[in-house]
Parts: sequence; structure tokens; C-alpha cells
Amino acid sequence: MDVQEKLQILADSAKYDASCSSSGSKRASKKGLGNASISGICHSYSNDGRCISLLKILLTNACIYDCEYCINRRSNNIKRATFTPEEICYITINFYKRNYIEGLFLSSAVIKNPDYTMDLIINTVSLLRNKYNFNGYIHAKAILGASPSSIKKLGQLVDRLSANIELPSEASIKLLAPDKNEKSVTKIMKQIKENKNKNFVPAGQSTQMIIGATNDSDYDIINKSSQLYQNYSLKRVFYSAYMPINQSPLLPMVTIPPLKREHRLYQADWLMRFYGFKAKDLLEKDDNFNLLLDPKITWALKNLSEFPKEINKVNYYELLKIPGIGPTSAKRIIKCRKKFKITFLDLKKMGVVLKRAKYFITCDNQYYFKRDNFNKNFIEKKLILEEKPQYEQMRLFE
Amino acid sequence: MNRVVTYIYDDTFIDLISLIAKLIINKARPYSIQSKKNYVATLFSEYKEYEFDPKIAKKLLNKLSHKIKKTIINIYLSNNKSKEVVIYYFIKNSLKYKDDIFQMRNLKCVHEGLKISKNVTRETHKFKGFTRFKLLNNDVLYAEISPTNDIIFLLSKHFKVRLRNEKWVIKDVERNIYCIYEKGKTYYVNDNVLEANKLEFDENENQIEKLWKNFFNTISIKERENKKHQMSLMPKKHWKYIVEMEDVYEKSDK
Ligand code: SF4
Repeated sequence: MDVQEKLQILADSAKYDASCSSSGSKRASKKGLGNASISGICHSYSNDGRCISLLKILLTNACIYDCEYCINRRSNNIKRATFTPEEICYITINFYKRNYIEGLFLSSAVIKNPDYTMDLIINTVSLLRNKYNFNGYIHAKAILGASPSSIKKLGQLVDRLSANIELPSEASIKLLAPDKNEKSVTKIMKQIKENKNKNFVPAGQSTQMIIGATNDSDYDIINKSSQLYQNYSLKRVFYSAYMPINQSPLLPMVTIPPLKREHRLYQADWLMRFYGFKAKDLLEKDDNFNLLLDPKITWALKNLSEFPKEINKVNYYELLKIPGIGPTSAKRIIKCRKKFKITFLDLKKMGVVLKRAKYFITCDNQYYFKRDNFNKNFIEKKLILEEKPQYEQMRLFE
Repeated sequence: MNRVVTYIYDDTFIDLISLIAKLIINKARPYSIQSKKNYVATLFSEYKEYEFDPKIAKKLLNKLSHKIKKTIINIYLSNNKSKEVVIYYFIKNSLKYKDDIFQMRNLKCVHEGLKISKNVTRETHKFKGFTRFKLLNNDVLYAEISPTNDIIFLLSKHFKVRLRNEKWVIKDVERNIYCIYEKGKTYYVNDNVLEANKLEFDENENQIEKLWKNFFNTISIKERENKKHQMSLMPKKHWKYIVEMEDVYEKSDK
């Protein structure tokens, strides 16, 4: 089989992984080809609007396991292929020199056994780093069940190492991925967390959950995420709307992936990481997110008694609670208001977007609308009308 | 009738700084500053020019912090029509506020200046991703770009590190500027030292491009297709120079 056909098969099997992030690595590199960029770079956007930063491929799609939701499962009748390490190097180096990509994201199905698969991944990455002096970004998947010594070896070669949790509860994992269990994932996460430094997985670890393949609620999902962030210092949890690829009585009967739901989860995830929100602030037990309004607005409407907030007065964390105001705007407001009293006009000049914020703030005790418009009905109606009918995708890199 | 005075300078950054230094000394309030090559004389306008003085230009620059200098260079590299006047007022206020200038966003020159500067930084960042090289048969990587702002200088700093052991050339097609890199050094030339239609590609170039296009088309998930979103992130104006979009570009009405 030629390399053209292999690439087609092994990119096709890799495309469901949501991660394409290439940021956060401070790995020093003075020699050889390439470097890692701290802020991450998108090189292209595919027809589905997702960022292409890395050459995202599987080493092989010939899997010994049989996860229900996966295109590569053993019982599927599909074409199988396996790259040689040299082939992967050839594509990576040639793509990188032409500036098509920021680096490589190498994942794999489990061929023969976990350690055998890990060895193939290690060989490939080590060839890239040592023979080809490649210093671009590398994200590798840790294979569940691989020995700690192989994790250690691989971690020293890559920028990011990750293990996918796939589903938010042990019961769901048991149901859909009977060869896996939560423990085998968290064991790897723990090892990565404990060894992380500038020479071992410098860009940190991430993971991914499939959304909508099981009955788990959004509350279960974001709770799981916040646990993972806390226990293993993950950089990112990625959410991947369930794609109906396989037919199985264990899988839901859907034809359209739940993209809006996925989007809401990304927003909530953002709020937990950068805005000081806790899972329990955002949802009640077993609840799902409102698909009409984003999680921050939903929260603000529920806690309207905390508003309107005075821009010239409230502290950083209070500013962050205002819909439409993020860390950049909040910091800017704090700096500028030391120099002058901020009016609505100033906010515009400062580049603070008022579209949502204007309902929830006062500037020097002025409200944007007539004061008696400050009530839930008015605000909710306006905001629902303003919400874009089409979902917006979050940027999938940091 | 009052005539509008346009101050003109000799098309380089240091000339502009020299002019601004003189204007500050003379306490002028310039209505318009233009580079010689952009200045168009009209019946009711009048222009003024000062002699270039590298000493006072240097003296002025020395009073500005690194961060302020970086910002005004960014503004200078933009394609904004009134960037010179913005730079004038930005510098004038910087002398007064020092680095606090970055918090004085209620001043017009500051919020406009920072907006322009950010726009330049942003475009540079985009081109770190969108620039596409092709390998020529003499082992040189060659790229053509057509950015809105004059970012080739900022962009080259990035590739100087990333492709440090390669030989490469980036051409800004509209401005007819080439950045040539070899062994740690960059050179800027603006003649047609390399004639683009005479370029000969490496024998594997076709195969690699085919591999890339193959990957690009495969990695998209059909059920999630959203070309509108794709287009808003990678606007049409870039397609001509992005190899994986060239087929779409050829078919589209340009
Ligand atoms: S182990 Fe991975 S590749 Fe294999 S079937 Fe499960 S999800 Fe798919």
C-alpha cells in the first residue's frame, strides 16, 4: 500500500479526536528544525471549520479492542493500514518545512498489545527528534495498559501526552468500552502529573470525552471535568459530539451530532478554568445546559440580584461574572479606571464588547437602558433574540 | 481661506520620527502627515517638509520605552491611512505619560493606536500559520504572501528561528518585497531578483502537495461541515496563496 493511501486511511480514523492544540510548550530548541510556539498556531481550517494545527494521524487502525463507538473497532469491516516510523517522519518533516503544520499528533489503535504499540510510537517520535532533529510540537497518545517505563520514555520526547477518558462515568465506560476502565486512564494521568517538568511533557496533558453516546448529563460531564482538572492538573478537556458511525443496540439512535450541546460544554469548561465558576454554580444535579442561552447568561439571570455591577467599583472576580466580559477586558478595566472614570463610551473605545455586558452593568451609576428595564423578562427576551441562530464553534486550540 | 498643510517625509520610519521630533519642538498640530510616495497634491492643499535630522530622531527614540517603540513600529507597518498622525499624538502623549500611556485608552490616539497595533500583531500571527512554502529545485523554500499590512519584517523574525537551517525566500507580492534568508541572516530586496515565473520546483513537490491536500480533505468530518465558519476563519483573500485552497479558489469567482 502506498503512503498516499495509508495517509488517507489513518487520517480518516484519527479525525474524531477533537484536540489539535499546539500551544503552551516552552521546550527550548536552538538546533535542528523547528520550535514550539507558546501561543499555538493554526495553519489551516478544514471544511468543518475546525483548526488544523497538527498532522493528526494514527500509527495504525488495526485494533485488538472493540469499543462500541469507534470506527476502528475490531469487528468493523474496514481497510486497515499501519505506517512505518520512517513514513511518518517523511510526511511530518516535509509538511513542517512547507509550513503546513505546527507538528505531529500521533495516536494509535492498539495493535498486538499495549506495550508493542507504545514501542512503535516511541520509535517514531525518537526517530523524528534524534535522527531528523525535529523540534516542532509533538502530541502523542499514551496507550492504556502500557508500562510506566514506556510512558516515562515517551514523555521525555513529546510536548504533550494524553490519555482519553472517553466517557464521564465508570458505568458508561464498562458499557461501551469493555476493554478499558477509568483506573487505567487515571493511572497514566497520575504518572504524567507527578513527573511533569520542562523536559517531561512540557505542554501538559489533555483528555477527551464523547458527548451524547450515553445517558450522562451535562452535570455529570462538567463534574468529571472539574475533578480531572483538579486531580491531574490537566491543561484541557476536549468534548467531542458523538458521531453515529456504528450501529449497535447500545448506542443512541441519532443522526445528527449534538454540536450545540458540545458548544455549551466548552463554554462551561472555559468558565470553570478562567472565570472561577464551579460546576455546582452552573448546573443542578442531573441537569443539562440551556441550549438557547449560554451558561454565563443563564447563571447571571438566575442570580440577577447580584447585578447590575458598577464597572468603576467591583473587583476583578466580580467583573468576570458579567456576561460578555472576559479576563482581557476585566484586566483592562481595572488598569484604566485607575486613570479615569469609565463611561459606556470609554468601554467601547477600550474595545470592551457591550453586546451582552450592557444589560448587566452600570458605568458611574448610569444604566444603559431606562432603569426600570432592569428585570429578568426584558433582558432574557433581548438576549434570546440576539443569540446567533447558528451555533458558533469554539476555537479548538488554547 | 485656510490652506490645509500636509507634512511630508521621505518614506522611511526614521524620516518620520525626525519629522515628528521637529513638529514637537515647533509645537505644531499637524492635520495630516504623509509619506512622499503617498502624497497627492491638490489645489487647496499645501505641503511642508523639514530637513532630515538623524540626531534629533535618535534623541526622541531614546526617550521612549521598548514597549512604546514596539507599538509605534507596529502602527507604522499598518496600512492605516492616518497612521502618521496617530503616531505623532501617541509619541507626544508618551512623553507625558510614559508607560502609563497604555492605560489612557480614553485618548483617541491611544485607543486608535492600540487597535491598529493589535491588528498588525494579529495579522502577523495569522500569517505564521497561513504562509506556504514550496521547495525549489535549488533547495530553497519559496513563499508568496499578500498581507494587508506590511508585516514581512515581523513575520520573518518567526521563520528565522523556526527554519533556521533552511534557505528560504518570502515575497510580499503586492509590495514587491523579498525577504531572503540564509545562514542566520535576512536580506530585504525589492527588485525582481527572482522571477517568479522562472521558478522550478523540486521533483517531489507535487507529491508532497498531493499528500497535504489529501490529508486536508480527509481530516474534515462530513457530518460537521461548516464552510461558512471555515471562510470566516480563513477568508477568501488568502486562498490564492494557500495551496490546499487553490482548487477552490480557481473555481470561485474572484
Ligand atoms: S482501543 Fe481505541 S482504536 Fe481501539 S476500538 Fe477502542 S477507541 Fe477504537
